[in-house]
Amino acid sequence: MQNTYRLGIDAGGTFTDFILADRNGEVRIFKALSTPQDPTQAIRNGLALIEEETGITATEIVSNADLCINGTTVGLNALIQHKGARTGLIATAGHEDSIEIRLGHKEDGYRYDPEYPPARMLVPRYLRRGVRERVVSTGAVHTPLHEDDVRDACRHFLREGVDSVAISFVWSVLHPDHELRAAEIVREMMPGVRLTVGSLLYPQVREYTRTSTAIVNAYLAPILSRYVEAVDGYFRSLGAKNPVRYFQSNGGLALGSVVSDQSVYAINSGPASAPQAALYIGEPWGLKNIITVDMGGTSFDITLTRDGRANVSKNIDFLRYRIGIPMIQVETLGAGGGSIGWIDSMGLLQMGPQSAGSEPGPASYDQGGEKPTTTDANLVLGYLNPDGLVGGRLPLAVQKATKAIATHLAQPLGLSVEQAAYGMFTIVNNNMVNAIRRVSVERGYDPRDFVLNCAGGATGAHITALAREMGITRVLVSKLASGLCAYGQIISDVKYNYMAPAPVRLEGAAAAAKLDGLFKGLETRGRDDLTKDGFTEDRISVRRSLDMRYVGQVHECTVDVDPFPLDEAALERLKAAFHARHEELYTYSEPASMVEVVNVESAISGRVDKPRRMTIAKGTGAAAAQAGTRSMIFAADGTPRETPVYSGAKLGAGDRIVGPAVIEEVTTTLVVEPGWTAELTETGVYLLDYTGGGAAA
Amino acid sequence: MAKRNVDPITLSVVRGVLETTQREMTLALEQTARSSVFNLAHDYSTALFNHAPEMILQGQDIPIHLGSLIPAMKSVAKYFEGDIHDGDLMLHNDPSYGGSHIIDTCMYMPVFYEGELVFWTVCKGHLTDIGGPVPAGYNPNATEIYAEGLRIPPIKIWDQGKPRHDVMNMILSNMRARRDQEGDFNALIGACQVGARNLKRLMDRYGKAMVQDCIAELLDMAEHHMRSLIAEVPDGTYTGTAILEDAGHGYGDFEITATVTIKGDGCHIAIQSPPQIPYFINSYEGNSHSGVYLGLMMFAQLPPPYNEGLYRCVSTDMGPKGTLCNAKSPAPHMNCTTTPMETLTDAVRLAFEQAAPHKVSASWGHANGCNIAGWDKRHDEEYVTMVLASIISGAGATAQADGWHAVGPECCFGALTSGDIEMLEHSYPIIIHRYSLMEDSGGAGKNRGGSGTCWEVEPLDTPMTLITFGEGRRIPAMGAAGAKSAMVSKKVGRLEVTRNGATQIITDNVIETIQPGERAANKNPGGGGYGNAFERDVQKVVEDVRNGLVSLEGARLDYGVVITDRDTLAVDAAATAALRATAA
Repeated sequence: MQNTYRLGIDAGGTFTDFILADRNGEVRIFKALSTPQDPTQAIRNGLALIEEETGITATEIVSNADLCINGTTVGLNALIQHKGARTGLIATAGHEDSIEIRLGHKEDGYRYDPEYPPARMLVPRYLRRGVRERVVSTGAVHTPLHEDDVRDACRHFLREGVDSVAISFVWSVLHPDHELRAAEIVREMMPGVRLTVGSLLYPQVREYTRTSTAIVNAYLAPILSRYVEAVDGYFRSLGAKNPVRYFQSNGGLALGSVVSDQSVYAINSGPASAPQAALYIGEPWGLKNIITVDMGGTSFDITLTRDGRANVSKNIDFLRYRIGIPMIQVETLGAGGGSIGWIDSMGLLQMGPQSAGSEPGPASYDQGGEKPTTTDANLVLGYLNPDGLVGGRLPLAVQKATKAIATHLAQPLGLSVEQAAYGMFTIVNNNMVNAIRRVSVERGYDPRDFVLNCAGGATGAHITALAREMGITRVLVSKLASGLCAYGQIISDVKYNYMAPAPVRLEGAAAAAKLDGLFKGLETRGRDDLTKDGFTEDRISVRRSLDMRYVGQVHECTVDVDPFPLDEAALERLKAAFHARHEELYTYSEPASMVEVVNVESAISGRVDKPRRMTIAKGTGAAAAQAGTRSMIFAADGTPRETPVYSGAKLGAGDRIVGPAVIEEVTTTLVVEPGWTAELTETGVYLLDYTGGGAAA
Repeated sequence: MAKRNVDPITLSVVRGVLETTQREMTLALEQTARSSVFNLAHDYSTALFNHAPEMILQGQDIPIHLGSLIPAMKSVAKYFEGDIHDGDLMLHNDPSYGGSHIIDTCMYMPVFYEGELVFWTVCKGHLTDIGGPVPAGYNPNATEIYAEGLRIPPIKIWDQGKPRHDVMNMILSNMRARRDQEGDFNALIGACQVGARNLKRLMDRYGKAMVQDCIAELLDMAEHHMRSLIAEVPDGTYTGTAILEDAGHGYGDFEITATVTIKGDGCHIAIQSPPQIPYFINSYEGNSHSGVYLGLMMFAQLPPPYNEGLYRCVSTDMGPKGTLCNAKSPAPHMNCTTTPMETLTDAVRLAFEQAAPHKVSASWGHANGCNIAGWDKRHDEEYVTMVLASIISGAGATAQADGWHAVGPECCFGALTSGDIEMLEHSYPIIIHRYSLMEDSGGAGKNRGGSGTCWEVEPLDTPMTLITFGEGRRIPAMGAAGAKSAMVSKKVGRLEVTRNGATQIITDNVIETIQPGERAANKNPGGGGYGNAFERDVQKVVEDVRNGLVSLEGARLDYGVVITDRDTLAVDAAATAALRATAA
């Protein structure tokens, strides 16, 4: 770190988290209510709050910060609420409807549901205009661009008051000229409009994905650019020395100008910093295989790193819109502290996805909520302190929780309240375990080869139980767990993805030369962009990935490789990597079958200096930190057990606690189940190991 | 409430693991398969059976396979009774043993635990070819099943862990595009292995007895659920008759009638159909189960998961052997999973509509699609495939909402994905000129049926064989609650072949050769509407016109809405009221 401070600002649904790190290694978390109507207001409020609590003014922080980093939900909210820009699409004639046909598919789980609505069109049919032009699969032009058709479309858009235009043609990735010429015409006729060109934004094979990605981008770009302008302006006015960096869903930082043009990269950035944070936390032990789970009030987000790299998703449905660009894989489940327990039409106990949210909240909040939630179960089990979190404001009403569980679950199921509460805890955990399988088992990884890392305020109560269910024997819980994502952002690097279509069979020198040329081209562009942004060569690194498949397969699997010279011999190395990955994912490979590449990508990163780690003074033994005992339940039969409670703030480095126990931190409660031992380490991370015996349930 | 010694918490957990298992099997299959029919069309199913074998979980996969895996599994287990061992793997496609059509190939893996047969993991997938005279299996000229492809009775392809390479080689030697078929068999086997691995782990965790008790309980709960839905319907006998149109076979239109008898919490579904014909639209009994169960689902509207308990209170009678819906060998049958299955579904759906008006949704557009084959000069190899993008029809409207556009056909009910057009052009030497919704194709109704689609193709540089199948080219998708369309010709499917500027409209199943420079456009029907179209909200009609889903003429004829200005879409309120009054 080259200056006094680094500031991270991560907007969430309810709270905006502020992380202030200084060069001495002190890291502090502040929280201000989010202001979705005017997102910059939350930033002003938070900086005012920091000044109130520390006496350091906004100007002092910003003008002495090496970096100010912002993770924003502006794009995400606009997409959720369908409040993006009025957008028009110019497509190849005959293909205006691909985004409404959506590959002819209705989402699984709703097959016979008479009410489930179709996805709302971001661009209605009358604002999608076809133009005569056509390139074919060989890259040859079948029909030249009819420029008059483009002009007609522009006139129509002008009449209809369109603010943002997406252009996406079939096979434009093999022959971009038609799209580029159409873009010139649009710029000429509609100078005020924002423009997204499919082959520039997402140069990969797959028309539906590319068009849909372009539309989402066009829909959000005017909103993101207004936001970026406001934030950049505010920070400049505070004397910022460097431009604000925005956090992207690919797990890296970007300049505001990039986020304005490529807004789709900003849509799910919130949880995307978790893998970075996990690796940083695990570094003192050399941990590189980490699953991070983040449980908030309504949702549960899972991310995974393996060999030090995060899972990446491409070509996925996000909020029912197909998005191609690489994003950190975040599996989200409707399971949080507010998730409601209910009995389904078959008579089975279920948890979520319905949530009591923060209004009215769990029954124990005593704000009128009457339905039993995860938080209520954790309270009845004795895990949560009825006085509320140590630093917290909110006392919890045990009798309300008991009544809700008794009425809605225990009595109908013929269980005691304690048994029902433990059942709720078990089922919500199992839902989470099944979701964790989606980032691990379904990606070909055995979760037992990973450590589990805790993020979010509500996760600590479940973390050892989750590890137990997955057969994971080591858990990390940072003192910063409740603000882990904001922390992840301030230790992230700048990262951009560069892509090219590469439909080629892996055979012969020509194929090797083609791939080599593509990668070199991408990486030259990437290095140029980062060099212009002030990164020296020693700070720039490259990762390559190729979407590969056996000829005849319809889906690809992505294979990541380090850059190496791509000659004919190297093709064998690529094929071997693909066969291995295929076997890992699907239990078999076919070494004799022909392999083809469809798309290639290079991720180019510019390394940013990391702030110093937190340091915790040596402790004098855990006994000094014990803050009494509570009756807690760790078994399905509901038997209570008097269990010690510790104050995290009083623990020092090296202090060890043997479960069962609860450690209360300012913003989180950590349940150490029987069979686990927790040790606070000098970097402010609790290291929990399964030491055997005493396993519950 | 549980009959067995099962705690409700473990029960929920076991159910979750079963669903995860099925999901992981599905994923393995989908991601690795070669055949676009099966990985894009989702024209596969994965299911878990207990030792009985009763189906304990089917994913929400394609309705075509809703019922037919149940009789198929029972047939295979019976065939090998006393000779089922750990490490065996069975293969089968024959409709005489409960299969649907022979191009749907099923793999059955017995799962042993502590030396005992406990489960079966089962997958079924639609291959791209199964041998026989016509690529991709759909031979409209077949008069017997022998002319449709290779018929595989239950056989073992692994014998106690030892792969039978000789048997596989015999099968593959009879199929086109061997490389793809081999890959697809591997995908099926991989999925069965994934399922077996998870089930063993589940038993490691909870013990075999507990897991079996939980599963027995889940079957009972499903049974109870379906019984409670049927008990809400008044006792009585309800019938529905649907017409199967003559799609070129020359035997004329046929009636299929379903008679649903509800008594207390049980129901009996009896099917009447004409004698089987020497044309590929006969359905053997296993396949007919799928049509019946889909009709039942359009009434029950249940969310997943599904198991065999749902059907315990439902008895069926597919009619005498040798009829269209209960065919016997050697009836040709390849088209059966769409035709007559969709008409059979309509008959059952209609009978339930009599029993439970206001609940049952309108019919979806029927499948009316094409297979293509030819030579790919780019790689100097042959190609053959069913084109899923060519069969995407509209969904039926429901009491609550308009039908979805482009999620049919009825036999798939939204489970298909049609595949990206660039990936199709990458895989096959074709140019897809159009893949779009179609004006006026959705059935008129207070709630409108979804739009059908048009798929227009031109071969890239070599002649292409195009083979059509299905029907729905004269009779539109059936509306519900009194919905009817005036503009019928726009609501039905057809093939349009354009050569030298002249367009030929084809409504029969045909085999055509399309040359480069010529085009074939396959149009698919929209879904049926729900309720009186003249009661549709005028503003909704205007929006449909704005979006090109309804024409000005369609607004007037189908909906009684008179729009006077094409640009502003102004409505003549008086003329509209008058027009709507005439029909009342």
